[in-house]
Amino acid sequence: MQMENKVKILLVDDEVKFLSAVASRLTMKGFDVTTADNGDAAIEAAKAGGFDVAVVDLQMPGTDGAQVLKILKENHKFIEIIMLTGHATVDSAVECTKLGAFMYLEKPYDFDKLVDALMQAYKNRMQRKHERDEKRMAAIQKMAMGQSPLGLIKALSKLDDDQK
Amino acid sequence: MKNDKELFSYESLAFFGRVNASISHELKNIMAIISETAGLLNDITEMATEGHAINSDLLQTSARSIMEEIQRGFKTIRQMNRFAHCVDTPVESVRLEEILDLVINIAGYLAYSGTTRMRSLKNEKGIVVTSPLLLAAVVYHALIFSYKNSGPDAEIEIDLSQWNDKMWRIAIHGFNIKPFQTFPDEHLEKIAGSIGVGIQCDRFNNRLDLDVPTNLDDYSIQSDGMTSAN
Repeated sequence: MQMENKVKILLVDDEVKFLSAVASRLTMKGFDVTTADNGDAAIEAAKAGGFDVAVVDLQMPGTDGAQVLKILKENHKFIEIIMLTGHATVDSAVECTKLGAFMYLEKPYDFDKLVDALMQAYKNRMQRKHERDEKRMAAIQKMAMGQSPLGLIKALSKLDDDQK
Repeated sequence: MKNDKELFSYESLAFFGRVNASISHELKNIMAIISETAGLLNDITEMATEGHAINSDLLQTSARSIMEEIQRGFKTIRQMNRFAHCVDTPVESVRLEEILDLVINIAGYLAYSGTTRMRSLKNEKGIVVTSPLLLAAVVYHALIFSYKNSGPDAEIEIDLSQWNDKMWRIAIHGFNIKPFQTFPDEHLEKIAGSIGVGIQCDRFNNRLDLDVPTNLDDYSIQSDGMTSAN
């Protein structure tokens, strides 16, 4: 896979050996991978921003995967999140979907399936950002009509606040 | 001797299922690591055939990781096997130390488990006649309560001592009971009652005491699931 702008992945799992192996494989596939071995470290890493997709293990000690999912979705509007679990249940799948997970994979999974899921998630993120940009352009054009320069700056500022 | 119907209820079946779920979760994690690491070795091999240099350190680390995970898998299966044999005989003579060791191991598969240490028996035998499965259930839930009241970095300690000639005491400490937390719930109380185990939750000293009768048949089950000494 050749990617000019590498897809930025945040990989979160308390199994360090799992993290290391998956990160190496994804890096070889051309992804830009950052790892975190607990929920708090993941939330902290995400603050630096710029992640396209996060892959998060559901069951972790301390801040678990569902909490990480909730916090990342609240603070990073366009990040897509793929949840991993060793024990898939209908309840946990429903909960993750409600919290905004893009996909839910059960361990052990086929690696190619993870790569496909990452690319789908990335496309979805880009599509959502594109739609946001189009809406924003339309809103700017609408505001620009009949506004003074100062009024336009104020309106744009409000628009940015609304779309964080 | 109590019969199986008196002893085994839905609660004990639920415990058996819960432990099996946590063990299978552990095995899935192990398989996931082996699968990904083997996949990584395959990726490295493919790259080598395309003329890329081989990272020998990565090869060595990966091979070692697979071997370690296989050993972890064997250990998990051994614990699963020990646990499965808990139901071979409904009531039998068991060494308390063995039951505690088994429970410490199987509770260790929970995501929120901490480190647990068992103090030595000072050469005491610690043999009781009881239901191994139900005693394991009581200790397991007591450990879960301890973990949930301490956090993943906690060190829980278990002391085993002979309280008197009819009773052994398992004392669990190393945690801080959070407000509004109580132990045991009515289901566990029923299980404990069915094998004559008394549970004291000491909020002031942050400890749980489990009093295990030396012989289950010294106790009789009452209609409400509680026991009394004969």
